[in-house]
Amino acid sequence: MRVVIAEDQALLREGLARMLRDSGHDVVATLADADGLLETVQWKRPDLVVTDIRMPPTFTDEGARAALAIKHTESDVGVLVLSQHIETTHAVSLVAHRGFGYLLKDRVLEVGEFLATAERVASGGSALDPMVVSTLLSPRSDGPIARLSERERGVLELMAQGLTNAGIANRLVVSERTVEAHVRHILTKLDIAERDDGHRRVLAVLAYLDRAHRT
Amino acid sequence: MRNLHVRSWPAALFAAAATIELVAAVLSWGLEPKWDTSLYAVYALAAAGAGTLIVSRHPGHRIGWLLVATGVFQSLASDLAQGWGLRAAEHRWPGGAFAEWVALWSWVPSAIVIVLTFLLFPDGHLTRRRWQAVVWVNVVGVALTLPGWAMDPSLDDQFVGGRNPYAFRSASIVLEGLGMPLLLGSVAVAIVPLVQRYRRSSGVERLQLRWFVFASVFAAIVLPVSALMWNTAPAVRLLPALALTAMPVAAGVAILRYRLYDIDLAISRTLAYAALTMVLAGTYAGAAVALGAAVGRSSAWVTAGATLAVAAVFRPLRHRIQRTVDRRFNRTRFDALRQMTGFLDDLRAGRAVPEDVEPTLRRVLGVDDLQVRLSLPHGGSTVDLSGTPVADDLAAGQTSWPIRHAGTLLGTVVAPGELAERRSLVSKVLEAGSMAVEIARLRVELRHQLDEVEASRARIVAAADDERRRIERDLHDGAQQRLVSIGLALRHAQHTLGSGDVEVSRTLDDAVAEITVTIDELRELARGLRPAVLDAGLGAALHELARRAPLPVKVVADSRRFPPDIETAAYFCACEGLTNAVKHSRATKVVLSARCRNAALLVSVADDGIGGAAADRGSGLTGLSDRVAAYGGTFCIHSNGTGTTLLAEFPCVS
Repeated sequence: MRVVIAEDQALLREGLARMLRDSGHDVVATLADADGLLETVQWKRPDLVVTDIRMPPTFTDEGARAALAIKHTESDVGVLVLSQHIETTHAVSLVAHRGFGYLLKDRVLEVGEFLATAERVASGGSALDPMVVSTLLSPRSDGPIARLSERERGVLELMAQGLTNAGIANRLVVSERTVEAHVRHILTKLDIAERDDGHRRVLAVLAYLDRAHRT
Repeated sequence: MRNLHVRSWPAALFAAAATIELVAAVLSWGLEPKWDTSLYAVYALAAAGAGTLIVSRHPGHRIGWLLVATGVFQSLASDLAQGWGLRAAEHRWPGGAFAEWVALWSWVPSAIVIVLTFLLFPDGHLTRRRWQAVVWVNVVGVALTLPGWAMDPSLDDQFVGGRNPYAFRSASIVLEGLGMPLLLGSVAVAIVPLVQRYRRSSGVERLQLRWFVFASVFAAIVLPVSALMWNTAPAVRLLPALALTAMPVAAGVAILRYRLYDIDLAISRTLAYAALTMVLAGTYAGAAVALGAAVGRSSAWVTAGATLAVAAVFRPLRHRIQRTVDRRFNRTRFDALRQMTGFLDDLRAGRAVPEDVEPTLRRVLGVDDLQVRLSLPHGGSTVDLSGTPVADDLAAGQTSWPIRHAGTLLGTVVAPGELAERRSLVSKVLEAGSMAVEIARLRVELRHQLDEVEASRARIVAAADDERRRIERDLHDGAQQRLVSIGLALRHAQHTLGSGDVEVSRTLDDAVAEITVTIDELRELARGLRPAVLDAGLGAALHELARRAPLPVKVVADSRRFPPDIETAAYFCACEGLTNAVKHSRATKVVLSARCRNAALLVSVADDGIGGAAADRGSGLTGLSDRVAAYGGTFCIHSNGTGTTLLAEFPCVS
């Protein structure tokens, strides 16, 4: 993968670049802020952009805004936004775009999982941090989610995180057919229409969870 | 006198009068009583001096020129002529009888001066043209009386030689018989326009007229009285000269310096002391007669006893007489002080507030645009009675009066300059009302200090919130990122190491896992301090809060922004309310709302639980109440069997 990194802290920026290089990826550019990120992307045409969400000058959501700008002009470039803390509002709205990921920053320490997620986003998939998903899925006494079995909840979480059926099967160490069966059951119980497209499925699940949470 | 530049013409005339008087005094010195010489010289010079000053300030002022002319004429025709007459008789100089003769009729033209002064005072103009007739009648009267008087043989004994050298009996009788009625009649009629003028007058003119009328009445009483007692009590011979001197002095004061002296006070004091003197004299005489009958006429006990009696009644009598005189003749002052006392009684009884002192002063002093300005201690800013800062300067035509209470300067009263005419009244009224001003000032000071304390409380809370925000940033952007970097370094080491040493690789895995746990803990810590999502607004933060809640939470909030301090405080209100609902209320659902109403942010947390929450029980809710109050907001909890509603209102302009 050709990767562009935007991260204001030098140590972390270099650490990330080194980790990606160690794993055989090509880091084509590193930036210390969100200024010029879009131009760099248009110039270097990377497969993936990894960007911090809080960067100079205001340290609020510069990274997120730059990510949206990239998505609007270069929609085929995968964007993975890293955040220091969970924040569902930004996360859910960002992941509505194809090829978009939102992870807590320390997820990079689980190198294998991080790289798998990064590749999924680069190839047009979605990724939502497990912590965000579990917040959305927080135990509630009422509602259809309470009717799901333990295993089905696990599958729903991974679906929401953006994993494909194969990815879920891999993670849970079961066959892909078993996962398919679980997914069917879940979608029926939650009354969500079956979708072939992985991204659309994620969106549908997230929209459902978000709605369930707001009411 | 800043603006007074003495003009050369009147100054020259004054100097001439002074020189003539000096010569006259030298001539008559020792040939008549010395007080006679000096007092009439003083009278002539007072007239010339007052006239000179008036003409210097108001060039062309007829009263001024009239007084100058009187002074010069008096010194020349009366004093110098008399001096020459006396001295000439002594040394057998020529023209002595002629000079005596001039001095004897020299009083006659002063009738013209009196009539003109009555008609022209104080502005030098007639009120109506028709009064000119009075002047002409008077002039005719003077023109007839003067030769009549001059030829009067009955004045023979006034001459040193014992004979009027120009006596002509029959002509004198005819001329005096025709002139005198005209002269005296015109003087009497001239009083009419003066009285009319006084009645119609107000403000400055009234004050000026009072001075003049005061002096005229004094002269009108003193002159006949002293004439009556001329031979019985020689001491009264001084009085006519004093009364005459008082007239030009009063005219001068009235025209030039009426603001400086309080005529009402002068009148009331004169009357009070005159009455007091008469009563005391009566007391003394009565006591002396009574004691004399008892212990014998010439005993020293009589004097002592009478003195004692007078001393005993002096103090209470003085107060009572002054009060009676004030009630009769100084009504304004009497009423003003009574109204002010009434206001203070109302204040004590709680029927009035101390801030009413301003309308009371306006009413009492009869001015509409009067303002009380307070000077606050420690910092000394100037404020009005409501505590609003005001400029400490005077507009054109305004005067300010200090208000003091127990030696402390409380502030000033700013009023139109006309009030300066009643200087003494104003200071008396202010003295009486100073207690109300003191209370008003204390109230303003208290309010200011309370505002100060509230502001400082808000600053302290804001500082604490800023500090939380800073720590939160430090945790997220400092410690947390550093830990991720260290983790990445460890992963790099692990990668470099390859699959060679399983033991080391496992240790590194454990270390990275430990770092991950630490980061999670830091994240939780930071979120408790201040959620970073508040940067995206109160609405976003409330939605985030709702998502984390273990029960259904409905959020009613839009993306409107408020000042960061207010948003933080509002967020913690919602947070604490929600925690309370989750922990204690057994609620099944909660509604969080943040609305803007009437320039205020209204935050509410409503649950459907069992109720029982109160701000004074839970320390969390008490702290919340303090936090809201720190921003000048209000906080309340309604809790009953069907649920709890927590309501916080923050004032904010948005």
